[in-house]
Amino acid sequence: MKTILIVSQDPLLTNLAERLLTPRFRTIVLGGMVSAVDAIYNDIPNLVIAEVPSGDDATVESINNLKEDPMFNQLPILAVIGDQPTPEWEGIFVEDYLRKGDLEKDLFSRVSLAVSRSERVVEINPLTRLPGNISINRQIEDRLGRGDLFSFAYADLDYFKPFNDKYGFSRGDEVIKITGRLILNFVKNRQPKGSFIGHIGGDDFVFIMEPGLIEGACGDIIRAFDQIIPTLYDSEDRERGGIQSKDRRGTARFFPFMGISIGVSGTTIRSFSHFGELTGAASEMKHFAKKTKGSSYSMDKRAGRSA
Amino acid sequence: MDSIDIRTQRTRIENINALPTVPGTVKRISQVIGKPGVTLSEISHFVSSDPALTTKVLKMVNSAIYGFPGRISSVSHAIMLLGLSVVKGLLLGISVFEIMQQVMAGLWDHSVGCAVVARAIAEKKGVKDAEEVSVAGLLHDFGKVILMLEFQPYYEEAMKQAASRKVPIFEAERAVFQETHAAVGTWLADRWRFPPNLVEVIECHHRPGSAKKAPLETAIVHFSDALVRARGFGFGGDSLVPAVHPAAFELLALSDADIRDLLDKLENSRDESGGLSL
Repeated sequence: MKTILIVSQDPLLTNLAERLLTPRFRTIVLGGMVSAVDAIYNDIPNLVIAEVPSGDDATVESINNLKEDPMFNQLPILAVIGDQPTPEWEGIFVEDYLRKGDLEKDLFSRVSLAVSRSERVVEINPLTRLPGNISINRQIEDRLGRGDLFSFAYADLDYFKPFNDKYGFSRGDEVIKITGRLILNFVKNRQPKGSFIGHIGGDDFVFIMEPGLIEGACGDIIRAFDQIIPTLYDSEDRERGGIQSKDRRGTARFFPFMGISIGVSGTTIRSFSHFGELTGAASEMKHFAKKTKGSSYSMDKRAGRSA
Repeated sequence: MDSIDIRTQRTRIENINALPTVPGTVKRISQVIGKPGVTLSEISHFVSSDPALTTKVLKMVNSAIYGFPGRISSVSHAIMLLGLSVVKGLLLGISVFEIMQQVMAGLWDHSVGCAVVARAIAEKKGVKDAEEVSVAGLLHDFGKVILMLEFQPYYEEAMKQAASRKVPIFEAERAVFQETHAAVGTWLADRWRFPPNLVEVIECHHRPGSAKKAPLETAIVHFSDALVRARGFGFGGDSLVPAVHPAAFELLALSDADIRDLLDKLENSRDESGGLSL
């Protein structure tokens, strides 16, 4: 059964909502958004109905904070407002709203619709919940079209395949999830607004940032990656500094700990007419980075127009 | 009311979602979160100084939502993986003890003291993740928090018995609950999918000889527990200094100079901010 979290201090509202939604849905009632966030962290519901009283900035802030994380970005939130004028929805990350006076008539139907809509496939990578290729291409094309100045990074892992082969795919998946999370958090830390992180697939990731910020983020990501990755190896392999596994030709050899290689290009040094040129340039830089032993990044310094 | 078989209460314990913290921590949360441009390492430092915040962060990162069950035992790694906005949400959701505040404050000091000493020993012994050992020191007694929180009258009885019979608190616990805080902590740590090494330290900190996966870490926390009590830091539920297991002491092979150095570190950690800090 789908779970609906109802967040309001108004007993009239919560009682009404519970009456309208049960027995079709399982309902949980909480008094405030702060405790609701905590409950959501424990167990993600299928939808949140939150009363957003006019001028209640704390509730809006909690909602926005929650929705900024990709793990919870897909969680639909239905705001309930009173008789106040409709708020500016721009800065409030909810999917839909209802007025208190319309609950009796519309709540059940709106909730059912929102739940089924959220179940339709969204283009995200199921492992990392980061946007995939369609969104990545659109992000790049939009920025190129607007003539934005931005930097683009292409990252992948060194020695991921032997790790996957030796320990199995579920532990390989953990590495991918950790990589996605680290990139996301360190990019967002340096540039909370206007940055973008995508997951192409496998161990390939991309991110877009303001040119002045990207080099710092690359350094952060590499440091964090190199700290965490060794802890994912079995203790004997960790002592040894790597694993015995097979290379692409099937020959057994020793592989050191995985590293991350990042190539960076961007519109400040050259102009690009379409996304393929830009991703190609970043990918070339990534190959430079790969030649360095261990994790590293490589910045495109080649001026002029790309061929 | 004098005793209860805690094993019959295991489900109730496993359904606990979070530990409350002491009032001092709650006051500092808004300062830390509200600080403009607060860094991940500042937040890690703060979280690592409080057992309740540490369990919250580790529980979240090892949960099915993030999908790293049993993998992450370091606070700084957890915070890098969760990110600032999730951690802020977690910290704001913490509640505070309404009961036994003085005993809890004593237990908090004891726990932080153990974390400081455990980290210092781990560094001396060249353990790869000194931070993980520090976390184990911080959380080794978290079963006590659960017992005090959920079974307060019984726990008061256990503390009374420990004092009147002059026995260690875990013996008094066994008389009152049939089990000790080490077992209770282990149930919940398992349920919260804490990494196996951390679970083992919590389980075996009074009998380090039984540790299989993390014997060194367990010996470190076992010894830290005794040293912090000997120094009169905080309050672990009784006023005795427990005997150090000889095999554990041999395994650590600490010299007198090492131990003096550990005591200095403990002392310095107290001086830093009036209270204890890592």
